[in-house]
Amino acid sequence: MRRLRLPEAWRQPLAVVGGVIALVWLVVAVAAPLLAPHDPLAQDLPRLAPPGPGHWFGTDQLGRDILSRVMHGARVSIPLTLALVALSVLIGGLLGACAGYFGRWVDETIMRVADLVFAFPTVILAMVVAAALGASLTNAVLAVLVVAWPAYARVTRGLVLGVREREFVLSGRLLGFSAWRSLRVDVLPNVTGPVLVLATLDIGTALLLLSGLSFLGLGAKPPSPEWGAMVASGVEVFDSWWVATFPGLAILTVVLAFNFLGDTLRDALDPRTARAIKERAL
Amino acid sequence: MATRSQTAAVLLAGALALAACGSGGGSPAPAAQGGAKTLVIDTSFDLKTADPGRTYEPTGLIVGKAVYETLLTFEGGDVTKPVPALAESYELSEDGKVLTLKLKSGATFADGAPLTADDVVFSLTRVRDMKGTPSFLLDGVEVAKTDDTTITLTSKSPNPALPFILPNPALGVINSKLAQQHGATTNPQDKAEQWLNGSSAGSGPYTIESFNVSSQVTLKANPKYYGTKPAYDKVVIRNVEAATQKLNVQRGDSQVALNLSGDQVNGMPATLQVKKVPSANVIFLLANQDSGVSKTTPNAKFVEAVRKGVDYAGLLELAGAGSTQAPGVIPSQLLGALPADQAAKRDVEGAKAALAASGVSSPTVKLEYPSELTVNGLSFQPLAERIQANLKEVGITVDLQPAPVTTALDNYRNGKEEMGLWYWGPDYPDPSDYLAFLPGKTVGLRAGWKAGAAKEIEAAGDKAATAIGDDARRQAYADVQTKLNASGPFIPLIQPGQNIVTAASVTGLEYHPVWTVDVADLGAK
Repeated sequence: MRRLRLPEAWRQPLAVVGGVIALVWLVVAVAAPLLAPHDPLAQDLPRLAPPGPGHWFGTDQLGRDILSRVMHGARVSIPLTLALVALSVLIGGLLGACAGYFGRWVDETIMRVADLVFAFPTVILAMVVAAALGASLTNAVLAVLVVAWPAYARVTRGLVLGVREREFVLSGRLLGFSAWRSLRVDVLPNVTGPVLVLATLDIGTALLLLSGLSFLGLGAKPPSPEWGAMVASGVEVFDSWWVATFPGLAILTVVLAFNFLGDTLRDALDPRTARAIKERAL
Repeated sequence: MATRSQTAAVLLAGALALAACGSGGGSPAPAAQGGAKTLVIDTSFDLKTADPGRTYEPTGLIVGKAVYETLLTFEGGDVTKPVPALAESYELSEDGKVLTLKLKSGATFADGAPLTADDVVFSLTRVRDMKGTPSFLLDGVEVAKTDDTTITLTSKSPNPALPFILPNPALGVINSKLAQQHGATTNPQDKAEQWLNGSSAGSGPYTIESFNVSSQVTLKANPKYYGTKPAYDKVVIRNVEAATQKLNVQRGDSQVALNLSGDQVNGMPATLQVKKVPSANVIFLLANQDSGVSKTTPNAKFVEAVRKGVDYAGLLELAGAGSTQAPGVIPSQLLGALPADQAAKRDVEGAKAALAASGVSSPTVKLEYPSELTVNGLSFQPLAERIQANLKEVGITVDLQPAPVTTALDNYRNGKEEMGLWYWGPDYPDPSDYLAFLPGKTVGLRAGWKAGAAKEIEAAGDKAATAIGDDARRQAYADVQTKLNASGPFIPLIQPGQNIVTAASVTGLEYHPVWTVDVADLGAK
């Protein structure tokens, strides 16, 4: 009998670690109300208690259980980050594809706008947008979206440019396919891979940026258990290390996990690059 | 390529971090040399100038108190009774308009010149007419000398607060001849500030050795001081963040740490002394009375529900050691403060009943507060979150609206906040400073409380403003606060504690609401 085997790339240690961590966080995000030992908003435990029985991650300055807050924080951060990246892929990808496929003024307009966004430091621009819209989690997501889409537009445009003149696309056009159908049927499958890799790698960055905005007070509103905001409140009570450390670790692990997954995805979709990297490393 | 530039970035970051450490903690800790005693005080600087006529910041007042002397002062931390300093006695006229002070003889400046009535008149006139930050202290007060040892201060309206204002180090007496040589004038064209930042024209126990508004101030004992010599020959005041202050004082790098929070002083080693006293800052909630701003908060029954719904003990728990509940808007140290037993108590059932009687069902209100502001090391953030949880039990939904202090101040000062969480520190330790909370006055207007909105409270306020004599004033201000607590838009919450940590060798430290600490009072053992 043949054992069910994962492809080579997914059996690398980093891929397994990334996959397991990401899976654990997804489960926590879905099942936080069942898993969390306390109400994340209840201020009924002793203040600033160090990690110990009953509150394994300690309590914060209001006597809330940090473990429960970190768990519920996954419900806030992870879905928003995934939605954010999905939206950036959709918007950036669509605009980039249009730019690459149609060329000329469409290309010029879209890519110059993208360049404009690239000209500003990411965090600063996101801060400006979030501050202008007012502090809330939705606005923070919009702000990150504003700075995140151009990367996808640029990558997609480059890929579409490469595919556009290939025979199978041209023959499709000659058979009378509409632009939309040509893009969807002939071009799309050839650009999905690299964009997907970019998106996976970007989940970490997006989460970091989103938490960063909350850390600066431009995102989640208190008392919402958002990781960035929790780190910010922990900074005020530096002596109680656990207040900032655990939400910080949560951010770290999610970012690392999705980076590992992104790398793995690239190796799986593009074995040639993977081999090249490995050979150079040797 | 990528790896190389990354390495470079890491190295650069490391170098920057080292440089930052170097400038922050690198200033050598001055040690006692040759028997001369040195005292090192760590504080978070709020300092702009050493010119007493322009000083209004906490750190500046510490320096001013050490270098300059005032006509009257306070004994230790007691601010209910002004006592003689440069003046040997004072008398307020029956109508409260004329304050007569007798100068004591023998006071001299640091250069040996005698301190005269002319110096007093020049200094006070300069503060008033230079239009600096503390000029308002003497608004409408005429300064004159009747003879070489008598000064009269005449106000247009009764001013029983004046003896409580005079101890402010901003009203320190400067050597007028010397200062005039360096550009001091009694109008806004005054140019003496720069000179006063480097030299002392005062008669106090210390003189300025070096002065840097962002890093360090060094004071050395005035060799010609005519009074009791201070215990320390040199006092170094350093600008240090609270977390570092804690480390420094534990290591023995400094002897006094002024800005630790209630949480930070927990578990201090027994070798250090921790002084925990309530500060004079009162944190309060305001409920806007302007129906254009809110439909909910002008409702008196709603305010009552909030007043009964807040868990004061829970807030004190957050504020930590030294904090105390504020029974009224006037802090406990001042004349006219309400006794502690008149403070509001939590009554959840009563709050629910009041909310039901208010006619607004399950209200949602916005609570604005400065997100990054701290008072005596206490942040507003946890307080607001605790209040939100308290009021949720009553049935009031609070929507927290933190904002950076500059943004939040705008809304607060323009009276646009539905509810606000703020604090008030006394400009001078006299209850008349708190008349600002009445309808139509500074803070009253910030709560949308216009003149004429509460006739009875305003009448009580007018009566308090003109009352003469300690007992009459105590009575009148207590009456104002009782009425404010019954039907005003303010809910006084707590006075956070001022926590001062000192080395075992430092004696005689008293927290003072105006100048924090008088370095000349400190002893050594």
